[in-house]
Amino acid sequence: VTAPLFPAQEIGSLMKPRWQLLGQRGAPLDDAAKIDFERWDRTLGFSHDSPDAARALLAGRNREASPEAVRDLGALFALRLFEAAGLRRVYDGEARRIEMYEYPIRQMHGFQFVGHVRSFDNKYYLKAANTDEVRLKAPYHIEEFDFVRRHATAEPKLPVTGAYTLADWSYNEHYLGRQAGWKGRKERREAQRELIHAIARHALRPTLAALIERGCRVIQIDEPAAGTHPGEGDLVAEGFNVATEGLDAEFTMHICFSDYRNLFPALLEAKRCRQWAWEFANRDRDGRDGYEVLNVLREYKDPREVGLGVTDVHRDDLESAELVADRIRRAVKILDDPRRIWVNPDCGLRTRSLDVASAKLKVMVEGAAVARADFERPRA
Amino acid sequence: VTVRITLTGPFPRSEELVGATRDFDRGRISADALEEVYAHAEAEVVEIEKRLGTDRLTAGYLRWPDLFRSIAEGWGGFSVGPVTRWFETNTFFRQPILNAPPERTAGALSARLPPSLHKEGAGRSLVVLPGPYTLAGLLDNRSGETAQALVHRLGRLFAEEVRELKGKGFATFEWVEPLLVYQPPTPTLAESVIAAYEAIGAAAQDSLSLLWTYFGDAAPILPLLARLPVSSVGFDLSETDPASITDRLGGRGLGLGVVDPRTTLSEDPGHIATIVRDLQGRLHPPSIWLGPGAPLDLLAAEPAARKLHVLAAARDALSTTRRVE
Repeated sequence: VTAPLFPAQEIGSLMKPRWQLLGQRGAPLDDAAKIDFERWDRTLGFSHDSPDAARALLAGRNREASPEAVRDLGALFALRLFEAAGLRRVYDGEARRIEMYEYPIRQMHGFQFVGHVRSFDNKYYLKAANTDEVRLKAPYHIEEFDFVRRHATAEPKLPVTGAYTLADWSYNEHYLGRQAGWKGRKERREAQRELIHAIARHALRPTLAALIERGCRVIQIDEPAAGTHPGEGDLVAEGFNVATEGLDAEFTMHICFSDYRNLFPALLEAKRCRQWAWEFANRDRDGRDGYEVLNVLREYKDPREVGLGVTDVHRDDLESAELVADRIRRAVKILDDPRRIWVNPDCGLRTRSLDVASAKLKVMVEGAAVARADFERPRA
Repeated sequence: VTVRITLTGPFPRSEELVGATRDFDRGRISADALEEVYAHAEAEVVEIEKRLGTDRLTAGYLRWPDLFRSIAEGWGGFSVGPVTRWFETNTFFRQPILNAPPERTAGALSARLPPSLHKEGAGRSLVVLPGPYTLAGLLDNRSGETAQALVHRLGRLFAEEVRELKGKGFATFEWVEPLLVYQPPTPTLAESVIAAYEAIGAAAQDSLSLLWTYFGDAAPILPLLARLPVSSVGFDLSETDPASITDRLGGRGLGLGVVDPRTTLSEDPGHIATIVRDLQGRLHPPSIWLGPGAPLDLLAAEPAARKLHVLAAARDALSTTRRVE
């Protein structure tokens, strides 16, 4: 039996529903939050696995609807939303996570948070300095994976922030301080390599091993920082390789909003990566030019799967199923093998409302079906 | 030669200001309450600058969302575009979109300078502005103008800006030009850069103008930098090997980015002094400005303040040496 072409997956976070935010703070739900909860529950039935917590939350009985119970409801909600959209691989919309940097760093020794740094406008992130050897406190994401494994009906795919990104978003004191003399570009790069290896070896790899031990089979390594420094594709690959060395699971790598060409050919060395899950729709215009960068895989004869971003996560406008199908067709034409393609949003959908996110995922799945009909049509 | 210290762009927002801007965006505090926190935060930066003896005051440019917003919102022809990565950092700016040939709006930039600068005295203040090459290169040009024409036109508009600001008493201008070293201009475009700075230079006579480069190695474009009519040229010494600065830059002053805002690791003032003395001995610049290699807002506020202290200590070390000699 051959699996259907163009299976769909999600990439990362969903916006947390307002009832979850209120409930986790111990605040009573207002009418709008209750209506929203009930509307989604009618569609998704996400409270069936936790009916007592749902009733308590709606009734404002905070003791019974503990922050943990509400958080679990949020995870169930995301799981069911993804599954209802028809995705083959799902996770919990990162319902338990606040962001993708601070939490993993807090699971490690060797870092000190030094304050907020502006990302843009009035958006900031809490940034840490690496001040000592990296050591893992305890493997992380375990509890959330266990929960997803127990409740998912589709296949879980766990997203984990990669070593390169964790290092790039930190200040490097410990390893840079060991470099003698003036700290130029060469010295910074060498110190960064040491930090990436340390995170990958001493924190990420044991975490991945523990997750695999508990049954995690598909792991997405998120490297949104991969495109920050054009000449560092080798460091991205090294971080990936050290983190996954000797581990038996299916690994994918998500990169977005980057010039992927700058990472090649160095990134080809990430040998255990089975799939590149990249953003394309954001840069796509009428001529499907957003997908031209796939030619880099063709040029290097790289046969891996592609997680094809067919949905722009920065726009509310809903793509049509035909547009999604057209994007898939363009990718097939370049890659010359429809079996290599998964479809996904460009990135996590957390910046879209849940209604928009849900609609975009459904259209994505419909578009995949339209394209599938092209390629699976019996030939005369 | 007098060794001065300066900032090269914005100072990071304090934790209090971070919280206040977040609260304001979420509707938790009023505009007046936010303004109070801004004023307090600016006063704190001015106090640090005065205490450490920075040569010109900046008040940290804390209200600026990014280097270009005052232009994109204040001048004609622009709109504010998508969030875009700021060189090789994890910070971003909103890309200006140029929909038509740019037009300067009188008073627009002056109104967007930190209010503390007007209060402290324009003559003691540093006006930080994007250089014409960097602005032209990073905006989304839908105006129909060629890159060369645009750089030249922006130079003329900035010259008008300088005339207006000089009229208000400002006398020191810093042109921020990371793109000059990150992606040096083609020979043809370089001529437009020179023409732009000639226009600015004519307007800036009798005032100080610093051109500051960062995020790239300046060594390959030293001949171009030597042709730009500015008082001093600044280098990011984490990117430009001090030994590679061999050109006397036509007698221009040297800006030396000797602390690195990409790391919280503290530099050694003694080591900095050694590097500066070497450059001083080889190039005999008429003036030396010590600054951060790139804007300090790549750091959080507390480590940024520590870097400023390192600058002051390095300056003091150089002054002490001179007195001993």
